[in-house]
Amino acid sequence: MADDKDVLRDVWFGRIPTCFTLNQDEVTEREAEPYYLLLPRVSYLTLVTDKVKKHFLKVMKAEDVGEIWFEYEGTPLKWHYPIGVLFDLHAFNTVLPWSITVHFKNFPDQDLLHCSSNSVVEAHFMSSIKEADALKHKSQVINDMQKKDHKQLWMGLQNDKFDQFWAMNRKLMEYSTEEEGFRYIPFRIYQTMSDRPFIQKQFRPVSPEGKVHTLGILLKEMYPAAIPNEGEQKRYQAVIHGIEPLLETPLQWLSEHLSHPDNFLHICIIPVPTD
Amino acid sequence: MAAVTVSPRSSERSGRVLAAGGDTWKRHIVRQLKHRDRNQHAMFQDLINFYTQLLDKASLTKGILSSSTRQPCSDSNSISALLQQKNQLNKTTGELAYQVVELQQQIKIKECVLEEQHARLQVVRQRASSAFDAHHGLRELVEQVQKENGALKMEYDALLERQREAESRLREEKFKEVHLLEDMIHQKRQAAARMNSRNERKTKAREANLQRELQSAAMSEITIDSVSAPNSRSTSPEKENQDVMTEQRHTRLFRSASATSVGILTSLRGLFEKKRRGHSVCSPDEDRIYPVGICMSARVPARALQVLEAHEESINTVRFSSSSDMVATGGTDKVIKLWDIQAGLLTHRATLDGSTEGITCVEFDPVGSRVLAASYDRSALLWRLDDSVPKLTLTGHTRKVTAARFSGLLHQVVTGSADGTIRVWDLHRAACVQVVEVSSYCSDLVCAENCIISGHYDSKIRVWDSRAVSCVQELPSQGKVTSLDLSCDHRQLLSCCRDNCLQLVDLRRWSERVCFRAEGFTCGSDSTKAVISPDGCFVVAGSADGAVYIWNVSTGDLETRLPDKHSSSISAVSWSLSGKYVVSVDKSRRAVLWSDF
Repeated sequence: MADDKDVLRDVWFGRIPTCFTLNQDEVTEREAEPYYLLLPRVSYLTLVTDKVKKHFLKVMKAEDVGEIWFEYEGTPLKWHYPIGVLFDLHAFNTVLPWSITVHFKNFPDQDLLHCSSNSVVEAHFMSSIKEADALKHKSQVINDMQKKDHKQLWMGLQNDKFDQFWAMNRKLMEYSTEEEGFRYIPFRIYQTMSDRPFIQKQFRPVSPEGKVHTLGILLKEMYPAAIPNEGEQKRYQAVIHGIEPLLETPLQWLSEHLSHPDNFLHICIIPVPTD
Repeated sequence: MAAVTVSPRSSERSGRVLAAGGDTWKRHIVRQLKHRDRNQHAMFQDLINFYTQLLDKASLTKGILSSSTRQPCSDSNSISALLQQKNQLNKTTGELAYQVVELQQQIKIKECVLEEQHARLQVVRQRASSAFDAHHGLRELVEQVQKENGALKMEYDALLERQREAESRLREEKFKEVHLLEDMIHQKRQAAARMNSRNERKTKAREANLQRELQSAAMSEITIDSVSAPNSRSTSPEKENQDVMTEQRHTRLFRSASATSVGILTSLRGLFEKKRRGHSVCSPDEDRIYPVGICMSARVPARALQVLEAHEESINTVRFSSSSDMVATGGTDKVIKLWDIQAGLLTHRATLDGSTEGITCVEFDPVGSRVLAASYDRSALLWRLDDSVPKLTLTGHTRKVTAARFSGLLHQVVTGSADGTIRVWDLHRAACVQVVEVSSYCSDLVCAENCIISGHYDSKIRVWDSRAVSCVQELPSQGKVTSLDLSCDHRQLLSCCRDNCLQLVDLRRWSERVCFRAEGFTCGSDSTKAVISPDGCFVVAGSADGAVYIWNVSTGDLETRLPDKHSSSISAVSWSLSGKYVVSVDKSRRAVLWSDF
C-alpha cells in the first residue's frame, strides 16, 4: 500500500513548467520579461498566478488593467478546469515549457467565466466535491462533514498542503465493505475535437454480474473511438495526470487514486500525434 | 518527446502480457508518474528557479540604476563619467556616513529621552500602585464602616422595637390604671350616696320624733299651766337647780326660745344631751360626718366683751376649739397663744412656741387635745395642749405653709403651701404620704370627707379626691382666693376673694352660689379669713376698715356691722361652735371678743 500513498503524493505534487508572456497588444511602459513558473497540476489557474499578475502589472499603467485571462495558441484557458486537464487537453504532445499568453483586456465573456476572487474558485471547487460525493455516496459523507471540514479541504488545496487535504479527503474516498466500490464513479471525459465540453454519465465500478469495471470498459462504453480495433493503429490517447494508465486498470482504484482534488476522474482523450 | 509517446505504448504491451500479475497496471502507473515528473518537473525546476532569481535581480538593478543615474552616458567619455560617478558616489557615501553619525547621535538623544521617560513612567507607576493601594485600603475601610453601620442600624431597630413594645405596655397599664381609678371612684360615690340617703332618713326620723314630742309637749302645756308651780316645787332641789341652770344656759343659747316654756326647753335639752352622748360614743367615721352637731342656732354678736393686745406683732389667725372653751391665736411673733374663755373674758392659758417664723394658720383637732399650725418657716407643727414644745414638725414644703388642717382621718393632716403643692401627712409616721402638684399658690384648704378643697391665687377653687389624688372639680372665682371655710354639716363652702366678695357654694349642687357684698367691706390682705357661723345661718368676715361684717345667709343681706374696736385691717375671725362668741384679730396685735350681750 506504500505504493498507493506514493501515487497520491505524485499526483498531488505534479508540476508543469510554464512560460507566461504578455500579449503583444497590451500597452506597456517598457518591454515585459516573460515569467516562468511550475504550475501544480491539481490546482486552478487563477489560484496560482498571483506572482504572474504582479510581474506584469509592474510594466503596465493601472488604467489599462482589466481582468486577467490566459490563452494558449488562440484558445482561452478555462480557469475552472484543473491546470493538469488544460495542459493534457491542449498541449500534451508539445514542447515544454508550456507557453501561455497573458491578457489584461478584451475578456472573452462567451468562452470564460469571470473570476473576481478566490471565493469563486472555492465555490466551484466545493460544488464539484459535493457533486462527486452525490455520485459516490448519495452525498452522505459530505453532508456529515462540518463546515470547518469543508474549509479544511479548500485550505489544503489553496495552500498546497497535501496532508491537510488528505486527512479530510480520505473520508470521501471510503466505501463500505459490503459494496465493491462507489455507487457511481465520478468521471469526466474531455476531448479537443468536440463542441461538448465533456462526457459525464452514471457508471458503476462493478458490473451487475460482479465483474470489475476497468478503464477500458469505461472508454468502450463512453467513447468507443478511443479503443483501437484489432489490428488497427491506435488513434487516441486516454491521458490522466499526464500519463496513460493501462486499460485494464480497475476503475475503482483509478477513482480513488488518480482523481483530482475535486474528486472527479478527469480523462483527456487526445489524438495520437501524427509526427 | 519520443520517450513520452513511446513509453506508454511499450508499457501498454507489457501490461497486457503481465495482466495475470494483478497489479501490473499499478506498477505501470507509478513508473509513468515518475517518468512524467522527471520530464516535466525535475528538468525545469532549477531552471525556473534560477530564472526567477535573475529576473528579481535584474529588476532590482534596473531600479537602482534608474534612481541613481538617469542621464544616459555615452561610450566616449565613459571613464570620466565613471570617475564623476565615483566622486559623486563618494560624496554620497560621505554624506550618508555623516547622516549615519547624525542619526546615531539623534538615536542617543532619543534613547536618553526614552530612559528619562521610562524613569518617569516608573515613578508614575509606583505612585499609581500606591494610590491603588490607598484606594483599596479606603474601600476596605468604607466596607468596614458600612458593616458597622449595618450592625448599629440593626441594634437601633431592635431597641426601637423594644421601646415601642414598652410604650404600648405603658399605654395599656395607664389605661388599666384609669379604669381602676374610675371604678373605684364610682364605687365610692355610690357608697357616699347611700350614706347620704341613710343620714337623711335618720335626720328625718329624728325631726319627726322631735315634732311628735313638740306636739305632745304642746298638748301637755295646758296641764302644766294649771299645776306647774306646785309641780316644780315638788321636784327635788337638784332638779330645780338643774332646770334653773339649763334655763339660764338655754336662754343664752337660744335667743328665740320662749323663756316661759320650761318644758320644751327641758325636752330640747334632753335631746341635746342625748345627742352629745351619742357623739361621745360615735365611731371616728361618724365623727367625721358629724364632727360637731352642737349648735342649733348661732347668735349674732352685738358688742365687744373684751379688747386686748394679744400678741407682740400682727395676729394672722384665730380659732376656737371644738368645745368652744378655748381660743388659739397665731401671729407674726412666731408663737401661738391659747386663751380660755371664762365669764366672757379671754384669759391667757399657754404659749406654744417652736416655730422659727410667723404662724399663718392654726387649728384644734376635733378632740381638742392637739393644736396644728402652719408656719412661714416652710413647716407645719403639731403641739399637745399640755406641752409647749411641738410634738411634730412636718417639713417638706419649699415655701411658706399657708394652711394646715386635720383631715377626716384623725391621724392625717393636709397642708397647702405657697410652693403650689398640697401634701398629705401621716402623723403616725410623721411623714408625707402624698404630694399633689397644683402649680398655683395655695392660699387655704379645707377637708371634707374623702375630699380636699383648696383655694388658689389663680382664682380657682379645686376639689380633690383624697383617695385618688385627682382633681374632680374646678370652681371659678372672681379673684385670688384668700380663705375657705366649710359649714359644720359639710354642705356649704364659703370662699373669700380679693374682689371683696364672699361666696357660698352648696357642695352638692355646685351651681347654686350666694354672694355677699357690703358697702365698706374690703378684703384687707391675701390671707383674710372669713367663716360660716356654726349653724350655717350667717357668714362673718373682717374688713380692711377695722369693722366686722356679718351677713345673713338666707336673705343674703348684711345682718350687722361691728365697727370701731379695731384700728387696722382685720386678718381673721372665728365663731365659737357654741354660737356664742366671735373673736376677731387684726394686724395691729389686737384681738376682740364679741358676743350678743
